[in-house]
Amino acid sequence: MSSASLDRGFRRSRSRPPGQKPAVTGARRNPLRFWPQYMAVSPFFLLFAAFGLFPLVFSAWLAFHRWDGISPVTFAGFDQFRFLLADATFRKAVVNTIIIWIMATVPMLFMSLGLASMLNSVKRFKTFYQVVLFLPSVTSIVAVVIFFKAIFDNQVGVVNQVLEAVGLSGVQWLNGYWTIKIVLAVIMTWQWVGYNAIIYYAGLQAISGEVYEAAKIDGAGVLRTFWSITVPLLRPVIIFTVVVSTIGGMQTFAEPQVLFGSNASINPNSGGPGQAGLTMVLYFYQQAFNNNNYGYGAAIAYGVFAIVAVFTLINWRITARAEK
Amino acid sequence: MNLSRRNLLLGSGLAALGAGALSACSTSAGGSGGSGGGSSSGLALWYWNGGLSDKVVEASKTQFPKDDIKPNKVGGDFKQKLQTTLTGGSFIPQITGVKGEDMPFFRSVADKFTDLNEFGAKDIAATQLAWKWAEAQTSDGKQLGFPIDIGPTATFYRADILEQAGLTSDPTAVAAATTTWDDYYAFGQELHGKVPASFPVPSLATVFQIIVGQLSNRFVSKDNTFTGGSDEMKQAWDTTVKAQALGINANAGQNLGPALAAGTIAMDLGAAWHALDISDAAPETKGKWRIANNPVKPTNFGGSFLTIPSATKDKQAAFDVIKWILSTDNQGQAFTDATIFPADPAAWKLPALTGGDEFFGGQKTIDIFGPAGEKVPEQYVAASDSAVSAAFYNELTNVEANGKNPDQAWTDAVAAAKDIASRQGVK
Amino acid sequence: MAAENTATLARKGSSRPAQALNGKGVRSASRWAHLPLVLATLLLLFPFYWTVVMATNTNADYYATPPKVVPGTHLLENIGSVLTSINFFGSMANTAIVAVSVTVLVLFFDSLAAFAFAKYEFPGKKFLFGLMLAFFMVPAQLSTVPQFITMINLGWVGTLQALIVPAAANAFGIFWMRQYISTSIPDEILDAAVMDGCGFFRQYFLVVLPVIRPGLAFLGIYTFVQAWNDYVWPLIVLINPDMLTLQVALSQLNVSRGTDYAVVMAGAVLAIIPLVAVFLVFSKQFVADSVKGAVR
Repeated sequence: MSSASLDRGFRRSRSRPPGQKPAVTGARRNPLRFWPQYMAVSPFFLLFAAFGLFPLVFSAWLAFHRWDGISPVTFAGFDQFRFLLADATFRKAVVNTIIIWIMATVPMLFMSLGLASMLNSVKRFKTFYQVVLFLPSVTSIVAVVIFFKAIFDNQVGVVNQVLEAVGLSGVQWLNGYWTIKIVLAVIMTWQWVGYNAIIYYAGLQAISGEVYEAAKIDGAGVLRTFWSITVPLLRPVIIFTVVVSTIGGMQTFAEPQVLFGSNASINPNSGGPGQAGLTMVLYFYQQAFNNNNYGYGAAIAYGVFAIVAVFTLINWRITARAEK
Repeated sequence: MNLSRRNLLLGSGLAALGAGALSACSTSAGGSGGSGGGSSSGLALWYWNGGLSDKVVEASKTQFPKDDIKPNKVGGDFKQKLQTTLTGGSFIPQITGVKGEDMPFFRSVADKFTDLNEFGAKDIAATQLAWKWAEAQTSDGKQLGFPIDIGPTATFYRADILEQAGLTSDPTAVAAATTTWDDYYAFGQELHGKVPASFPVPSLATVFQIIVGQLSNRFVSKDNTFTGGSDEMKQAWDTTVKAQALGINANAGQNLGPALAAGTIAMDLGAAWHALDISDAAPETKGKWRIANNPVKPTNFGGSFLTIPSATKDKQAAFDVIKWILSTDNQGQAFTDATIFPADPAAWKLPALTGGDEFFGGQKTIDIFGPAGEKVPEQYVAASDSAVSAAFYNELTNVEANGKNPDQAWTDAVAAAKDIASRQGVK
Repeated sequence: MAAENTATLARKGSSRPAQALNGKGVRSASRWAHLPLVLATLLLLFPFYWTVVMATNTNADYYATPPKVVPGTHLLENIGSVLTSINFFGSMANTAIVAVSVTVLVLFFDSLAAFAFAKYEFPGKKFLFGLMLAFFMVPAQLSTVPQFITMINLGWVGTLQALIVPAAANAFGIFWMRQYISTSIPDEILDAAVMDGCGFFRQYFLVVLPVIRPGLAFLGIYTFVQAWNDYVWPLIVLINPDMLTLQVALSQLNVSRGTDYAVVMAGAVLAIIPLVAVFLVFSKQFVADSVKGAVR
């Protein structure tokens, strides 16, 4: 696990207060000596065993079977995985998810960084700005999506009315391959840009002013200061936000689900025209719950899990090494 | 790290909140554990918002005081909730609604439900719509559901816009001018030519859904073989995508409400309950809409059932409650309360239905929907039908939203549908 | 990297809150920096304004061309519809019970585990931490069905503990608090505590807990909000109509046919009021001041 590189604290964490025996030796002799630590971490792992591990194992078992959710389960061998490898719709969902994740995450994190620097440099209204930045992340997703669906309406949406008012032609936002992804990225950006800005701002606050003074004396400009001082010093914070955004982005579900009529009686949860908004988790949901194909759903679940894990690891590697 | 007084206050505040919450939690949890979901006592009745008349359900409590009826309006994905509950085996309701589109699935797990024929449904069925009752019948004749409502289809149109285009706006004449799909398109072309902002087709899916309802076989036949690539299906596809080629498709699948309100959609196709969609989205157009028979022959969308899960102990009592809730008079009441179109033809003669509808300029809509309801063709819908059909609806959106070549779209749709069908265990 | 660490350590050792001592170059930008912030404020607040506009107009206005842009006069009538359609206050009480219980349990369990992960070595620590992170990556929707089966076996279907217990500890919180503790608690303090004869748990209660309050405040608000807005799982597991949470109750306003968007939005406005209140009360706590301990 590359978790060690994630946090400098981990690696250099001093393991034991002085006066105790070195941990490794102790471990070899008697792991029971560490009962307080095991007890401290046990609530999570007990809950994990009951509510996390069982579902994982059950899903793995299910992926080798056919099950409609009610009837007796029948063995299917590797059929579900064979279907998965040949499934063009699943590939489409993977590509969609990655595109939406990039479109939502990359510009958002840059904007967050910009907003955080601004917030760091102003003197007044700091608390007000922080509250405003935080509010979207605590808003119910259903209300948020209803709002964005209305303003991006193909016909009467505010966005198109503004475009037409300045002499441009309106866009069929909720019909096109790219425009649907833009709308989803806008929703996710709106909801999380402030949240990440606050985390960056907190990181900026910890950077001592003297560092900047020194840079100024050396004749570094604003941009150069930003790239060669601010960004490297913020590295752990940036890694944190990238990892959290990756995991969140790979699991995008509610936005396209609510945007394209989860209640539709024909073709529900299809991800909109051309399936442009069909994400991996939405496809899982549709296959399992709408099509009663729980075995196949479980196979998709494992596909999703593998992809999320690969991306998260790649991410950690890239971000962690970039500044080394 | 400085410890301000505020920090300490927050900490103690959280602790106090926590203590209160935990005690509140344990009392409420204890309370619910006892009375639970009604698995031991009382008669739990599950339905969804708008699925039954709340007034009739309320009245059933006083009608059957001994049964202790506990109505539960279940929100969210009703099918999923019912399915997981039936799988789980506890908290199963004594009576539950099943949506029309979910019946093919639940019919495939018939042993989870009671055969209503054993409790007197057979005697009632004689006077009812055979095609609707057949939807909830297994191949070996078990009757799983008692129909609540039906969704006979018709053409909805804006009389004022038709007149503006110099076309007839009389329901009989409109129906006569649109008896085939070619006639409908020709009529629509004239309309769109005269009033370019208005269209006769809201989206390709709307048309396709009705044409498929008029076929002899849908996507999966009774012997569980894939029929999505059949000649008649190809014809249905070609007829549907013709609307796109003629330029008369409003392509408003993603913004139906605003398009209805703005008059972009001058002609629409839908079930009886679609009237409610229109009046909700476009209340200002009150009085301007009319209804006529749709091309070729009427079909049916939706229309739900009440069922008795096999776990129910006193099945006769449950059936008696269903029989009362869905009596002719109460079906009329449900239409008045929630525009639930009665499945019982006798209810169509009640004053609640025979009066004129102001939203449709005083037109007696039952004169269209009544005969349409009688004429709906019986059609087999497999449990895998909606999963398989998704491939076709997806490709239709590619044609209308992204300009995909319709023939290529057909080829892709059939290929994708075959894949889904094989995953669903279809031959 | 090494220099950075030394600098961080030096700052940390001083145990004074790291103040933003702005360089002059940054300070001169101070005035115009308000411009993008004000722009962002407007963009971020607009949806809230629009929600209020919708909640105070009628459903038909949702479809109107051009759209309504000023609040209307139908707020009370829309709120009335919310209150008659669903058991609003009952479900709000349930939501509060769930959200507060989950928050308190998460704060305690996560920070205790995080302390062990951050400051102690023990056999299997890396494995356990990796396992936890792996679990963090599993999309929650994927375990819905098996989890429901677990709840049936426990007899918890339809009860609030079905929402509280599985959420009582989470990987995100441990991940977050470990980061916070490893940087905000100087090892010297722990050494001193050990000298005084404090064991693991006394160190936690006497030394760690008082120091990490700001970090807990952030995690607390985050957890509270997640629990308050949780939707998919309660929708599946809650069956008794008297035992719904707010989001599930509100979803009953959003029906497949004939949804009254004005009423849905009025419900959304009512539901967000308690959150804004919690927000304003604790705003000084959970915003940046509390985050910085974890990231500096």
